[in-house]
Amino acid sequence: MTVAAPLITARSLTRRYGAVTALDALTVAIEPGITGLVGANGAGKSTFVKILLGIVDPSEGDAEVMGYDVVRERANIRALVGYMPEHDCLPPDMSATEFVSFMARCSGLPVTAARERTAEVLRHVGLFEERYRPMGGYSTGMAQRVKLAQALVHDPRLLILDEPTNGLDPEGRDEMLALVSRTGREFGISVLVSSHLLGELERICERIVLIEQGRLLRAEQVGALTSETATLVVELDGDEAALAAFVARVSAAGLLVQAERQRVLVELPDTAAPAALDAAYDAVRDAAAMSDTGVLRLERRRGHLQDLFTGAGA
Amino acid sequence: MSLTDSTIHDLGYRRYDGEREGARGAFRALFWQGFRALFGVGRPIKTKAVPVFVSVVTMLPALASVAASGATQGQLPITYANVIGAQALLFLLFSAAQAPEMLCRDQHHRVLPLLFTRDVTRTHYALARLLALFTAMFLVALAPLLILYIGEIGVAKDPGATFAKMGNKLGPVLLFATLLAWVMSTVSAFLSSLTARRAYATAAVIGGFLGTVVISQGLQDLAGMSEAATKMLDPIETLRTTAMQLFGETTRWMELTPPPPVWVHVTELAALGLVAAAALVWRVRRVSV
Repeated sequence: MTVAAPLITARSLTRRYGAVTALDALTVAIEPGITGLVGANGAGKSTFVKILLGIVDPSEGDAEVMGYDVVRERANIRALVGYMPEHDCLPPDMSATEFVSFMARCSGLPVTAARERTAEVLRHVGLFEERYRPMGGYSTGMAQRVKLAQALVHDPRLLILDEPTNGLDPEGRDEMLALVSRTGREFGISVLVSSHLLGELERICERIVLIEQGRLLRAEQVGALTSETATLVVELDGDEAALAAFVARVSAAGLLVQAERQRVLVELPDTAAPAALDAAYDAVRDAAAMSDTGVLRLERRRGHLQDLFTGAGA
Repeated sequence: MSLTDSTIHDLGYRRYDGEREGARGAFRALFWQGFRALFGVGRPIKTKAVPVFVSVVTMLPALASVAASGATQGQLPITYANVIGAQALLFLLFSAAQAPEMLCRDQHHRVLPLLFTRDVTRTHYALARLLALFTAMFLVALAPLLILYIGEIGVAKDPGATFAKMGNKLGPVLLFATLLAWVMSTVSAFLSSLTARRAYATAAVIGGFLGTVVISQGLQDLAGMSEAATKMLDPIETLRTTAMQLFGETTRWMELTPPPPVWVHVTELAALGLVAAAALVWRVRRVSV
């Protein structure tokens, strides 16, 4: 295995379930770091992940994880990979400590080491006194933390997280994403994280792999995906008259405007020219000030999954 | 304790460079976790109900038998096969209730994908869980037999002489506990592995064993087959007969219709368990996760 070898490679990876093709000749190379696997529900994310983990066999094609073939060299991959499934997997009458240390032992850690690692990873994911209570009483956020902890407990080199933010409220999502990001950046563990929401992954991932109907749509650095839109999102506070005044003023400045109640989308001119961009920002600021509206949020709209799908489909 | 001692330091993430026991350690973990679950160790009180009930209730007749024998100065002989044969349904209750406790729960709570992505192969999983169930059942079946065995020596007028005389009874005690545990654990484990629902599995195990009674009776009454032959279709009855033969006891029907020799029964029970164990491995290898 050379230094430049990718973390994960898939060649013409295909998986059929009866008449349904879940994965259709997927060819992709994923480098170390944090990678987002994005696709709508049913796009084949979970199937791809399960093939990498060796719990589903490919119908055709092959894949390697850290240089090991996912079918023939499955045993070598196991110690290197931690898996957090999408679904619930926590027996309700076990405590987090008991469960995570059992998982550690199933990865071959001796009893004492399993106990120490369990305490450490549960602390890392932010589970303290609750860890001795039966998991049946845990909130979704706590349950997701335990699921992440069990994936980390045997010190894997690659974490595969399937929809880790599923079922979490916005705050819980942010915390989970921060945890995933920290795991990838500070702990030096590569992460493959799947989600149907590009928006949340682009914040923490270095690369995004986009799949649809089992096929690869794009695999790119996050920057390339998200710098593409030239839309400024402005969220305003004010009555209808004030908003209308704002829209009128911005249009008067020669910018294309689309109003959606409290939210106004401003199409920016040539985003490559800083001067033109500054002028546009100034126009928006002045319009807001003069039309007696309060600006709640002002940010460049980033690439959305929807845009990418329509972009790629065209 | 000084202030500096009580400070919590975030040591950051630490790598693990220690020993990894691999598949061997994983097998041990699965075995022990399963074994503890079978007796409800470290689990809520209601999971202890069946194992405690069965253990206590199967030991009581053994104790009573020893007490009776002791009170009558050995006039009332201790009948191993009678005592243990009457407990067969309780052992069945244990395996029907506890095998799903271990095998269905892993499917129901979807723990299998986590296990199979670790140092646990599907075959190892099946064998570790089966071994846990077998060991638990062996101990539960052995307990009343050991009480009888130790009791018989204890209440004898001359324990030393009785012990010397009874050395040959330890073999049947161990062999019978093994056979009973083997047949019940393999069949229960296989039937439990078919479903994620505990209630269905329990019903399947009880139905499976008692269904053979119906078939056996039916063939005897309707097809007019001999009792000795049809009883071999019923594993629990076969176990009872085997116990009689192993402990050198007899019943009226055994005298009227002599059953096949003991080695036939032992072979039959061993083979039945082997088939069920193979079926369990086959099923676990193809269960979708």
